[in-house]
Amino acid sequence: MKKHFYLFIVLVGLISLLFIPVHAEQKSVTVMGVWTGAEADAFNKMVAPFEKETGIKVEFTGTRDLPAILTTRVEAGNPPDISVMPNPGQMIEFAKDGKLVPLATFMDREKLLSDYSQAWLDLGSYDGKLYSIFISADLKSMVWYNPKAFAAAGYEVPSTWDELMQLSDKIIADGNTPWCIGVESGAASGWPGTDWIEDILLRIAPPETYDAWVNHEIPWTDEKVVEAFEIFGQIVLNEEYVYGGPKAVLTINFADSPDALFTDPPNAYLHRQATFIKSFMLEHFPDLVPGEDFDFFPFPPIKEEFGTPALGAADMLAMFNDTPEARAFMEYIASAPAQEIWVGELGKLAPNQKVDPMVYPDDITRKAAKFLGEASVFRFDGSDLMPAAVGSGAFWTGILDYISGYPLPEVLAQIEAAAVDAYGK
Amino acid sequence: MIAKQNRFLLSLPLHIFIILVALIWIFPTAGLLITSFRPASEVASSGWWTVFANPFDFTQFTLSNYKDVITNIGIGRAFVNTLIITIPACIIPIIIASFAAYAFAWMEFWGRRFFFILFVGLLVVPLQMTLIPILRIFNQLGLSGSFLGIWLAHAGYGLPLVIYLMYNFVSGLPSEIFESATIDGATTFQIFKSIVLPLSVPALASITIFQFIWVWNDLLVALVYLGGTPDVAPLTVRISALVGSYGQNWELLTAAAFVSMLLPLIIFLSLQRYFVRGILAGSIKG
Repeated sequence: MKKHFYLFIVLVGLISLLFIPVHAEQKSVTVMGVWTGAEADAFNKMVAPFEKETGIKVEFTGTRDLPAILTTRVEAGNPPDISVMPNPGQMIEFAKDGKLVPLATFMDREKLLSDYSQAWLDLGSYDGKLYSIFISADLKSMVWYNPKAFAAAGYEVPSTWDELMQLSDKIIADGNTPWCIGVESGAASGWPGTDWIEDILLRIAPPETYDAWVNHEIPWTDEKVVEAFEIFGQIVLNEEYVYGGPKAVLTINFADSPDALFTDPPNAYLHRQATFIKSFMLEHFPDLVPGEDFDFFPFPPIKEEFGTPALGAADMLAMFNDTPEARAFMEYIASAPAQEIWVGELGKLAPNQKVDPMVYPDDITRKAAKFLGEASVFRFDGSDLMPAAVGSGAFWTGILDYISGYPLPEVLAQIEAAAVDAYGK
Repeated sequence: MIAKQNRFLLSLPLHIFIILVALIWIFPTAGLLITSFRPASEVASSGWWTVFANPFDFTQFTLSNYKDVITNIGIGRAFVNTLIITIPACIIPIIIASFAAYAFAWMEFWGRRFFFILFVGLLVVPLQMTLIPILRIFNQLGLSGSFLGIWLAHAGYGLPLVIYLMYNFVSGLPSEIFESATIDGATTFQIFKSIVLPLSVPALASITIFQFIWVWNDLLVALVYLGGTPDVAPLTVRISALVGSYGQNWELLTAAAFVSMLLPLIIFLSLQRYFVRGILAGSIKG
């Protein structure tokens, strides 16, 4: 009897908790993003001056399940004020459904045009209206190497694909392995290979072909796509070309794969990966000096006429609720001072042209920013743009199948089948 | 004496088998525990089993992962939030389910069978399908982002299973008890309070463990209904934010897993003597 009495008391106590207001009455803006860990810390650093100046509190939620959580909350009519867009395709979907606030209604057009190149504004627009702002970018078309190991072995940085292949053969002739590649990444295994295919395709065909491939206007069995896979295969399927052979490529984690550059003697000499890999190299080997112990050269052109395009990814934010606080925040993150804090913390590249190059942590990053700024062609990582069933599904598993030795026509036919389902055409 | 020895010999293979199974089960957890005490650079470069090369070299272990997790700003608030979410989200469905189980098992009313099947049938509805419609309702009622909302959500998701388990237990109580209580003039509520509840303690304990662990470990429901802002985010949201978006700092997860496991473990150990009895009680009738 007494026990039940206590239970009752506990219940009453809990029910009274209901009346504690969850959100204090304060001007605030809710922001949702994919950033966690160090990136969330950097985001908080970026918003600190904004909060101090305006008195608006930024309530940030970072989750790696952003696509699922965001779609659910938007569908249910409870979106955050501002959110990171998982990819440009998703932004276009939201814009089409009229969920996003067009930014031109309150942002200064002249200032945007002077801060951003037309290419970035176009990427953030749908149907001629600007919906989202880019705050940082990553460059993917990079081949990392160890300058000290290069100097010791007398190797030169190649500037064309033929030179790159000659260098690879020379490394083999010296009894070493040229490349280290790792495509394992838990449930996302395979994605590092998709970047290879995209970079190669941009170098053997005009950007229009790339766009057509991303939008599934040409099939996966198109000769250019086949050729891109075959060029990738020349490296990844060759026991002598990759450290550990294709079997190891499948099992080595993408983050661990560049470790092979820094062993003594080097297990491998070349590694193709995006800007972010620098942080992993420094985490695994804290004594490395950027620029001295590791550096990069642009993924070289394959066919001269297509030059050296830049493949990349970028972080974009869009606005769901038109509140004065959200407006103020969008204006703030589009500005150079905000992006200087953000990219300075993370070593990403800033889309805002007014950002001072001195904020970049090292010469490598400045070099990458220059490459990105000067590239005649910039394209988004295609797998991010494709429907999830292909871009983060069949394409990934296709890469794994191809490296495991399945015949290419079979692999491509399977991706094509998934694509026909996903695009509905 | 001899009989006893014989019995021991006969049960020996069974014991060896059980110990073996237990070892296989505990193997990954042991690896996780060892990893949680290793420095980040070691975690990245070699497997946890390499510590056994020289197990008494204590320099290869560190408490820094635990330090990083516990001193992480906001983790205390997250712990309190998890408690605020979990305790009512356990008590509400269990109270409702006890009433419901008793009614379904022993009270005569129209449509009893139908409603029971309807409730238990809800077990097959995938939680993910309900997120959008329920969040819409919560928006209209102003419940999204409030603790009341997530209590109700968890109560709803837990009820079908909890009712089902409680029903099986309560319906297994001997009918003579209820008859004699009725003859002695007890009202329905008195029977429930003085007979059914005290007799159901084993079942209640095991169901509490189920529900508690489910709510404690939940990430999705909290993120959707509550959002992930620091003032309401539970431990799971906080912990998942420790890891970078490319999976950096995952060694912190191992330590965080043990920190967040602590309370459920205490609950489980203190209720476990009811646990086995409780499961059996719910699984078969009579």
